[in-house]
Amino acid sequence: MIGLKGTLNVIDNSGALLVECVNVLKNKVNNGWGSVGDEIVCVVKRARPVPASAQLSAAALKVRRGDVRRAVIVRTKKPVRRPDGRWVRFDDNAAILLNNKREMLGTRIGGVVSADLRMKGWGKIVSLAPKVI
Amino acid sequence: MKVEIDVFSGYRIYPSKGRLFVRGDSKIFRFGASKNQSLFLQRKNPRKIAWTQVYRRMHKKGVTEEVAKKRSRKTVKHQRGIVGADLAAIAAKRNQTSQVRTQQRLAAITKAKAEKKEKESKKPKPQRTQASATTARNISKQQAKGGRGGR
Repeated sequence: MIGLKGTLNVIDNSGALLVECVNVLKNKVNNGWGSVGDEIVCVVKRARPVPASAQLSAAALKVRRGDVRRAVIVRTKKPVRRPDGRWVRFDDNAAILLNNKREMLGTRIGGVVSADLRMKGWGKIVSLAPKVI
Repeated sequence: MKVEIDVFSGYRIYPSKGRLFVRGDSKIFRFGASKNQSLFLQRKNPRKIAWTQVYRRMHKKGVTEEVAKKRSRKTVKHQRGIVGADLAAIAAKRNQTSQVRTQQRLAAITKAKAEKKEKESKKPKPQRTQASATTARNISKQQAKGGRGGR
């Protein structure tokens, strides 16, 4: 249940550490709340310090503080129901940054990811994740 | 369909029951009911909560059927022969009757006595001096011991 002002950890290597939700897309369907597999618009609140010495980072783009980006929610503290009736809940809220075309900004994912992503159509993220639960 | 076990109480969790909690370190905990979940999150030790399986196992409650676990390990002794005497020789010695043994002893004694008599008849003089010397030494040792004991 991520909504306005909800903070999420970023678990890819795009450079951001903490993002704050500004808007949940497909708002009317979800009653204003975002859950696993939903796209949100977010502001980067905290980012890893960019090395001032030019663009050495060939692998991953570096986002800076105050950037407005899109992201997909991959873990929520609020339990999510699985089709077999199970409820799965994580210890924190986490997201992965995207660009406007629903593509990942980072190249690697560090951490667990919810398996509900696959059902919502984020197969690429699921395949990159080290562990899917 | 897989029946899971509750991490706190040890009960069985059937599908569509309970919750699955993924902790920050990616460890999974399954709870069958909010009661178990609440106690777990309060960091209670299931070993101290009386109705959990962990507690019951620890305090051996209702375990009368499992007493068959007591199997005493008996080491079987094997008789082995040594370098000097093989198995047959040891068995033969052990199975000698007492009569045979006494006979052997008498034979040995008579043999020894005979040998001694032979020796004495051959060398009378040097034996006597040797005997006196040893006795003299004995006395001196005793004296020394007596002296120390007195003080």
